Amino acid sequence: MSSNELAAGTLPVPAEAREYLTFRLDSEEYGIDILKVQEIRGYEAPTRIAHAPLFVKGVFNLRGTIVPIVDLRLKFNCPKADYDASTVVIVLKLPRRVVGIVVDSVSDVLTLPPEYLKPAPEIDTVIDSDAVMGLGLLKDRMLILLDIDRLMSGAGMALVSEPPT
Amino acid sequence: MSEAQEQGGGAEADFDLTQFYQIFFEEAGENLDQMEQMLLVLNLQTADDEDLNGIFRCAHSVKGGAATFGFADVAELTHQMESLLDRLRRHEIEPSPAMVDVLLAAADVSRSLLARHQAGGIGEVPPTADLVARIGSLANGGDVAAERSTGTDAAQTVLAGSSADQVVTDTSDHETKAQTGLRVLEVVVGPLKDMAPAEAIRELFRDIPELGSIEDLASDQADVRKFTVRTSTVTAELLDLFEFHVSRSQLTITEVRPTISLGELSHGHDPVAPETTAGFGFFEGAPGAPDSNSVQAPVRPLSASALAKQADKAPLPLAQIEAATIRVSISKVDQLINLVGELVITQAMLAQNSRALDAADYQKMLAGMADLERNTRDLQESVMSIRMIPMSVVFSRFPRMLRDLASKLGKKVDFVTLGESTELDKGLVEKITDPLTHLVRNSCDHGVEMPEERRRAGKPETGTITLSAAHQGGSIVIEVRDDGRGMSREKILSKARQRGLEVPDQMTDSEVWQLIFAPGFSTAEVVTDVSGRGVGMDVVKRNITALNGTVEIDSAEGYGMKVSVRLPLTLAIMDGMSVGVGKEVYMLPLSSVIESFQLKVDAINTVGHESQLVKVRDEYMPVVELARVFQVPRHDRDRPSDIMVVIEAEGSRVALLVDDLLGQQQVVVKNLESNYRKVPNVSGATILGDGKVALILDTVALVRRSRH
Repeated sequence: MSSNELAAGTLPVPAEAREYLTFRLDSEEYGIDILKVQEIRGYEAPTRIAHAPLFVKGVFNLRGTIVPIVDLRLKFNCPKADYDASTVVIVLKLPRRVVGIVVDSVSDVLTLPPEYLKPAPEIDTVIDSDAVMGLGLLKDRMLILLDIDRLMSGAGMALVSEPPT
Repeated sequence: MSEAQEQGGGAEADFDLTQFYQIFFEEAGENLDQMEQMLLVLNLQTADDEDLNGIFRCAHSVKGGAATFGFADVAELTHQMESLLDRLRRHEIEPSPAMVDVLLAAADVSRSLLARHQAGGIGEVPPTADLVARIGSLANGGDVAAERSTGTDAAQTVLAGSSADQVVTDTSDHETKAQTGLRVLEVVVGPLKDMAPAEAIRELFRDIPELGSIEDLASDQADVRKFTVRTSTVTAELLDLFEFHVSRSQLTITEVRPTISLGELSHGHDPVAPETTAGFGFFEGAPGAPDSNSVQAPVRPLSASALAKQADKAPLPLAQIEAATIRVSISKVDQLINLVGELVITQAMLAQNSRALDAADYQKMLAGMADLERNTRDLQESVMSIRMIPMSVVFSRFPRMLRDLASKLGKKVDFVTLGESTELDKGLVEKITDPLTHLVRNSCDHGVEMPEERRRAGKPETGTITLSAAHQGGSIVIEVRDDGRGMSREKILSKARQRGLEVPDQMTDSEVWQLIFAPGFSTAEVVTDVSGRGVGMDVVKRNITALNGTVEIDSAEGYGMKVSVRLPLTLAIMDGMSVGVGKEVYMLPLSSVIESFQLKVDAINTVGHESQLVKVRDEYMPVVELARVFQVPRHDRDRPSDIMVVIEAEGSRVALLVDDLLGQQQVVVKNLESNYRKVPNVSGATILGDGKVALILDTVALVRRSRH
């Protein structure tokens, strides 16, 4: 696949090299735009919200702001989701809200030039397909690049109030 | 009526009055600025209704405010502007450049007038008669061309394109010649218990150098202070100024020496001298203005910098409205409040953790912790106070409204306000205005009787409506009281029966009064266009309940009625009651909690094996099991919930079944929806002392839930 086709695709593949924060969920490695990350902190038990989906762990107090917290491991059907001292929460600063996501671990920050990016093949997964920006191909690793904004505001996340019908 | 108002204001602290005016000065200044902007960009040929209406509104707002606050000169001038603009926007006359000029000049003069009032009425009054006449002639379709040729110097200056400021300079110059010279007065203050007010008068002269000078004079009585004052300000204005601190009865001002001639002045070294010629010199002038007056400035015993400042100010006779405040967006303030709230929690956590430390070993650190605690608390109070504004902002709307209303109804009403300086959260002030307006109108319309009826009842012809505000604990209580006819228990009961409400005869008075909050309920015998259409009190009650407040009524037939509105001090802070369910903590608004009690065994009856009812005294109430509503996991608990908390919302009561009552506390209300979504049965969230989030229960939703 040539780079021309890439650019013509519908996916928002950036033209310049961008920095990604990579994290692990079970054995998979994901990358998100570093500019969306506000901070990384340890996991503390949030306040449970009744009737919320299981992967919405509840809300916690982030310096006076009430922030919901989503366990991506549960959302992405990881086999186990333990909470211990090394469990990490990535606090995301999205355009209209602040949300925390629970991941197994944060790996590193990578700069990916556009030529390392490939569009994701059409596959059937639990992830909304339009939330996957593409794949980042490194020597021996494959990064799943997420459009975290789209992922978190999707209907499947149940983070946004449904518009009144 | 105005006297009554003053009385109310006078009872409060001195700063109250100034604060009372400050908002008006700011708003008026903004309105004048806006008007000027709009006038400057106004295209005479294509001026559309929107532009003209906008300019009209600015003049109108300034006039309205000025009239309310009793600044007759400003009101008169802006009234003329308004008339001209009104004719313009109705297209009765065509806009012309002369009109724009004269309106700009008028706006400038209004500004100086306002600034003069803001400074406490000192300084000379810019002449307005000429402007008023010119505006009047233009408004009456006066010949624009003639206006130009016969116009005053001022008008020509404007047409010549120089700044509008110059207009006032020119006109005011005529006036300055008539300025009175310096006088020496003896001011006697007292007898006073406390000499602080007398000191305050001294400070007045220090704060406003243009006022003149003041010197102590030996006094033979301990409770009397005497001063020698050199000033060019007229006695009446001095009295007005001093009255901020000392009541007029304790003030005597006598002239010691007659007016000193201006010639004498130039040899003297009195700071007032330049001001007599410079007029409005005491206001901040724009730097770099032509320094034509500085030659006249005599040498005076002032520091060099003060002198320079003085000289700088002097040549600009145009007063500018002084901005003693800054406008900051609410979101910034709220962010500050959030951060401080967080600091308080952190501080509490540190305090808790350090409590176990040995005081001897960690003496320094513990002392530091104590300081931190005090500073944090002070900081929190100061930050919270930013959002607070005095009730006078609301109260000031009423005298005028009542006056109009009373004259329309043919009634005589005195309006008394108390506690205007009581402070309340800005958000609440905005929301309480409408309900209060309704209550005050009701008092005037239904409460106070017609003069002859009052006479027959042996009451003074003039009724009194009292509006008061006071802090009580963590809330503010606002009372609307009148000495009118009060409410008739029988009338309300019969009306209620007519409307098909079930009302037993043995209802207590306060229960009867609560009936008037039912939708569509009005006991007014005559339906007037003022109120009495039966869409009043229920809306009042609903609005106040929405603010977590309560309304109580007290009435005695023939003697009057009192409506007390109790509100939390701020919307951001709520009195909460925390309850435990399983291991979770939920917060209830204390204002909706009626009572709580321990459940006796078998006190709960089920209906259809689903709905539960509990008998509280003689009433069966639906039971809402919080553990079930919120799906609280309860594994290691054998003991069933056995505490009932009765809450009321929208007139219905339900009993919540909880495990523990944890306590009452003030909580900062946070929005859950800003980052998450609406959660059923939850109205918001708060952060507990340990940093954890607790959900605040939506009592209205819980009550509604029990209904189906």
